[in-house]
Amino acid sequence: MMSFALLREIAAHDQVWPRMAAKYGVENPVPPWKTSLDGLCDALDRAHCATGVPTFQDRRDEEDALSATVYPDLPYPESQLVALAHSLLARGLITEDELARRLPLIRARLEA
Amino acid sequence: MHDHDHDHDRTVKPMVEEITDFEVLEIALRELCIEKGIFTAEEHRRFTEFAEQIGPTPAARLVARAWLDPDFKSLAIAEPLTASKAVGVDWLEPTGFGTPSDFTAFQVLADTPTVHHVIVCALCSCYPRPILGNSPEWYRTPNYRRRLVRYPRQVLSEFGLYLPDDVEVRVQDSNQKNRFMVMPVRPEGTDGWTEDQLTEIVTRDCLIGVALPRVGVTSNVIVDTRPALHPSGE
Repeated sequence: MMSFALLREIAAHDQVWPRMAAKYGVENPVPPWKTSLDGLCDALDRAHCATGVPTFQDRRDEEDALSATVYPDLPYPESQLVALAHSLLARGLITEDELARRLPLIRARLEA
Repeated sequence: MHDHDHDHDRTVKPMVEEITDFEVLEIALRELCIEKGIFTAEEHRRFTEFAEQIGPTPAARLVARAWLDPDFKSLAIAEPLTASKAVGVDWLEPTGFGTPSDFTAFQVLADTPTVHHVIVCALCSCYPRPILGNSPEWYRTPNYRRRLVRYPRQVLSEFGLYLPDDVEVRVQDSNQKNRFMVMPVRPEGTDGWTEDQLTEIVTRDCLIGVALPRVGVTSNVIVDTRPALHPSGE
């Protein structure tokens, strides 16, 4: 199975929601980005006729396989998010280089 | 404008005050997909709004109303889309412009004193989202999906549901085009209750079929989510 250093680093950084919520005394059971991720998955499912976009079934199968093998230490929904990123990278819909360039730009924007 | 002299520490709930890599990753994936024309920002917003407003309350109300009104129960079984509309859910247009991964056939599985239904999606995690909200984490796990089909009584017992041998267990497999919810039997001790009171005891777990409604129980069973014993890909 393919492996992406960028995603491995994110997983290893371990800012998973159960840890974050405990650290800051927050009670929400899931992270605030979860519904946006749901929207992202639904929008992708709707777009699956576009070239290379995984079908719902492919996406879910890959999520199950990746969550159990490449990212076994990630809880849900972090596993869902990182597996989705992996599926998009593996298909070349997004390249690792462009994702690596984009991440610090978004972080800078959020921290501004 | 009002005076801002009150103590925010006492009035504002705590927040996670650091930006996580996961939050950044979700935004990055979304923005890159939009830039590449895979979907539009508008489509994403509409689906996210859908994800934020769904929950199990309409399904609970449907069951409560059916318990009180035999005609509505018949309607729920014969014309589930019409009954869904009566509790505010339009399966044909749940987001205002459709959810392709959700639609379309929907059935209400009515339990009897001798037949108990429980739903699963053995293949992935298909779930009646418009009327039940997002599926719980355990519903998505290969552990639940594979084992429920083979060993339903054992899996139900892990949720604390022990059914007598004379109750038949029917496991209903969902898929991308067929979604189901369970209508449990009205429990003892609820005579004279209002629809609102009944709605409160029809929890999400009851609507999946891993629990039975009981007087005084208004929350879901919490079970640890277990990893698959034989993960796919092995």
